[in-house]
Amino acid sequence: MAKDKADLLQGTLDMLILKSLSLGELHGYGIIQRIRQLSDEMLNVEQGSLYPALYRIEQKGWVSARWDVHETGREAKFYKLTRAGRKQLETQEASWDRLVLAIAKVRQAT
Amino acid sequence: MKWWNVLRDRLRALRGRETVINDIDREMRSHLELQIEENIRAGMPAGEARERALRSFGNVNRAVDAAYDVKGGGLFETLTQDIRYGARMLAKHKAFTSIAVLTLALGIGANTAIFSVVNELLLRPLPYRDADRVVMLWEVTPEGRHQNTTSRANFRRWREQSTSYQQLAAFSDQRFNLTGIGEPEELSVQMATPELFKVLGVDPLLGRTFVPDDADSPVAVLSYGLWQRRFGGQQSVVGQPITLNDEKYTVIGVMPPNFQFHIKQRSGTGRPAELWTILPMPNGPGANERGRFLSTVARLKDGVTVDHAAAELRTIHARLSDEVPQFNKNFTAEVLPLREQFFGNVRRPLWLMLGAVGFVLLIACANVANLLLSLASAREKEIAVRAALGARRIRIVRQLLTESLLLALLGSVLGLAFAWLGIKALMMIIPKDLVSLQSVGLNVTVLLWTLGVSVLTGIIFGLAPALHVSRLNLNDSLKEGGKSESSQASGSRRLRSALVVSEIALAVVLLASAGLLIKSFIRLQQVDRGFDTDNVLTMVIRVPDARFREDAQFVNFFSQVLERVRHLPTVRSAGIVNYLPLYGGLGSATGFKILGRPEPPPGQGPVTDVRVADSGYFQSMGIHLLHGRNFSDAEQREPRHVILINEALARAYFAEEDPIGHRLDVAMFEKPTPAEIIGVVGNVRYDSLIDASPPAVYFPHPDLTYSFMTLVIRTDGEPSAIAPAVQREIRSLEPNQPVSDVRTMNQVMSEWVARSRFNTLLLGLFAGLATLLSAVGIFGVMNYSVALRTREIGLRLAVGAQPRQVLLLILKQGFWLTIVGVVLGLAAAFALTRLLSGLLFGVAAIDVTTFATISLLLVIVSLLACYLPARRAMRIDPLRALRYE
Repeated sequence: MAKDKADLLQGTLDMLILKSLSLGELHGYGIIQRIRQLSDEMLNVEQGSLYPALYRIEQKGWVSARWDVHETGREAKFYKLTRAGRKQLETQEASWDRLVLAIAKVRQAT
Repeated sequence: MKWWNVLRDRLRALRGRETVINDIDREMRSHLELQIEENIRAGMPAGEARERALRSFGNVNRAVDAAYDVKGGGLFETLTQDIRYGARMLAKHKAFTSIAVLTLALGIGANTAIFSVVNELLLRPLPYRDADRVVMLWEVTPEGRHQNTTSRANFRRWREQSTSYQQLAAFSDQRFNLTGIGEPEELSVQMATPELFKVLGVDPLLGRTFVPDDADSPVAVLSYGLWQRRFGGQQSVVGQPITLNDEKYTVIGVMPPNFQFHIKQRSGTGRPAELWTILPMPNGPGANERGRFLSTVARLKDGVTVDHAAAELRTIHARLSDEVPQFNKNFTAEVLPLREQFFGNVRRPLWLMLGAVGFVLLIACANVANLLLSLASAREKEIAVRAALGARRIRIVRQLLTESLLLALLGSVLGLAFAWLGIKALMMIIPKDLVSLQSVGLNVTVLLWTLGVSVLTGIIFGLAPALHVSRLNLNDSLKEGGKSESSQASGSRRLRSALVVSEIALAVVLLASAGLLIKSFIRLQQVDRGFDTDNVLTMVIRVPDARFREDAQFVNFFSQVLERVRHLPTVRSAGIVNYLPLYGGLGSATGFKILGRPEPPPGQGPVTDVRVADSGYFQSMGIHLLHGRNFSDAEQREPRHVILINEALARAYFAEEDPIGHRLDVAMFEKPTPAEIIGVVGNVRYDSLIDASPPAVYFPHPDLTYSFMTLVIRTDGEPSAIAPAVQREIRSLEPNQPVSDVRTMNQVMSEWVARSRFNTLLLGLFAGLATLLSAVGIFGVMNYSVALRTREIGLRLAVGAQPRQVLLLILKQGFWLTIVGVVLGLAAAFALTRLLSGLLFGVAAIDVTTFATISLLLVIVSLLACYLPARRAMRIDPLRALRYE
């Protein structure tokens, strides 16, 4: 069911979230926006997927969260990459690169 | 994953679900607001901005739910939900719940009760230090009698020649008269070498136990019970003098309350000791070879195994057989671990009982599984709705299993109450020789066992129905016309039939075992024991050795007692014997020679039981004089060297000729003392009802004088009524003379068969319970089946079937289920009743009559159980049944 799709995306989504946070503290909405900007509007993460992933990452200790006041005067929950998160991001990026490289090689062979 | 973060979130959610949801909600809302502001900044009007934001967000509730899955209570929360839901469900179906809980409680209660006994006797360490290092040493006689006592000389040789033991101690149970303080009383005394307490590793409560220097000194150690009863529990008792058998002893110590060391099978008193004295071990030669009356207990050295010790003892004994052939020819020896000594003979029955209650529990499980299935069919729609709303299968199975576990736990709570009552009842009927059973109870081990059993049962009876129900097809169940027999319903019926068949099979095994035991028990009662137990009173009179100097004085005392007793009203006859049949201990046995016949080589001569009795004994016990004559008055006044022999001896050694007038030299005396056979009496089963009587000779009291004798009185009417008058007569003759073991012969018998009765009663009870439960099971299944087939039966009736045919139709269905169960059960019984072989008497482990009887019984019972649903089927109104659609 829906779970399979989430599982498939989870690793990638986790990496995207971590990457967006590597540039600074953000709230949920900000994460979505940043991923969209960075991907030239190609990747649009849905809220329904973002928050479960974000919470899971928080439980894993890769990000920490706190409530704060947004520049617009509204309160929002801000997420910040922890040291473990930064390490995780590096690992994930490295393995992602390997994967892309491997796929590229396979594709060139045809 | 940092599991503690997850755990923290889960627990936080468990404490306050609202707080967690609020937090998520707040975050989602802040997200929405940010989006709306963004939209407004992009130039949209407020209304549109909000609408667009909402649309892009999607279903807010779904998002919160998805987030809650991560942050929420998870397994913990579903568990509490499941429990709450399950509890509500159980409360709603009160009838179902109470029947299921009661059924389980019976099964679990019986299990707990039996386990508590098993735990106490077979699993818990014995109350001695490092009890697994303590062993008993015995001789084995040339005739193959095991656990035979040894002589002083042989004990000394064992002690000198063995290397396996830290220490060895010899002991012998005797009866001493305690006088000088209040009422005279006969005590059970363990005479032991000083090492006894060292070997057992038990310290005294007060004072000290024996030390090597005590050898031959008149010192005594009290049991806690005796100390409390006769000395008021006073500390000052240590150092105080007491009078035992008219001799002075000094109390040196008191043992703790739970201390006991009683080897029932080889005890001369049949009771646990209340007092310990030093066993004299004189150093002279010769006399020490005679008389095998010592039990031996020893503590193994570290690292020495029982097998090694046994091999060593056999070697020593083989040497003795060569060195001292006149006493040890063909004797061997054995070593027994203490637990084996105490409980070796109950281990198998106890495990069997535990197996039997296991069967009862399995039947109870099958029944509850069946109940759950019927309940599940009533809940089909509820479960289908849950599935339709998106509950996954695992979630539904989990819910149903939680309910089963809840039932099992409720059952075990009630079961513990049953077990408590059961243990009380067990303690009342358990044979007393199963030692210190006062501590059997609900301890931690037993509670853990019960918990384990109930969780296991919950899973056993819950899993099949849960898996079955969760596989239901949504559409079929949601459709209103779920009354007809769908494919699932038939699947469920197959499952139920299988359950009932196994219940019946299990019940057959239990019934077969119980049937065999009952038959053995009846056979045991019917054995020709050679004496008549009705209207006979017995009591033991023990005259202190120090009271009289001459044998004639003892003889005279007992004949005076008899004279007085015979004149009491309702007394028909009275006599004396040294050891009563089946009194719970051993008599004496020794070798003999027949004068005028060639002498057999040492160790191969004939052996006979030896008893001392008077003519009145045979009369009072109803032992028939088959040939010759009884003892005359003169022969009972002074030694005339005459004996009576039993039929077995006559048959074995005088098959061709008349034994009367032959002379036997029975090795009971220091020098050869031939005695003339004057008569032959009937065989009596003295040691056991099971074994045939060995040869026996009877001496009159003057020829072989004992200081203790058992009075045997035959009365008109209730024998125990005469007891006070008899005791008064004895007291008037000798004020300081106690009597003990006042029992009717029927009581003696009943104590002897206590163990057999206990096994029979218990297994019979379990078998009855099993039958009842399986009857309930088959009733439930047939009832359900009739409900499912209402329409079909209505149709049959409508097209002209006779009600009687419908009745037969249902009965036939039940009959086949029963037959399949009975056949499977008989097959299992053929394989399993072999385990009973040691407990059976006069009946083979596979007994066609018994098996046929119990099969018939079970068929009748289950047909009766089917009759009610069948009658209901017969009365179905065709019109209403057909309108049901």
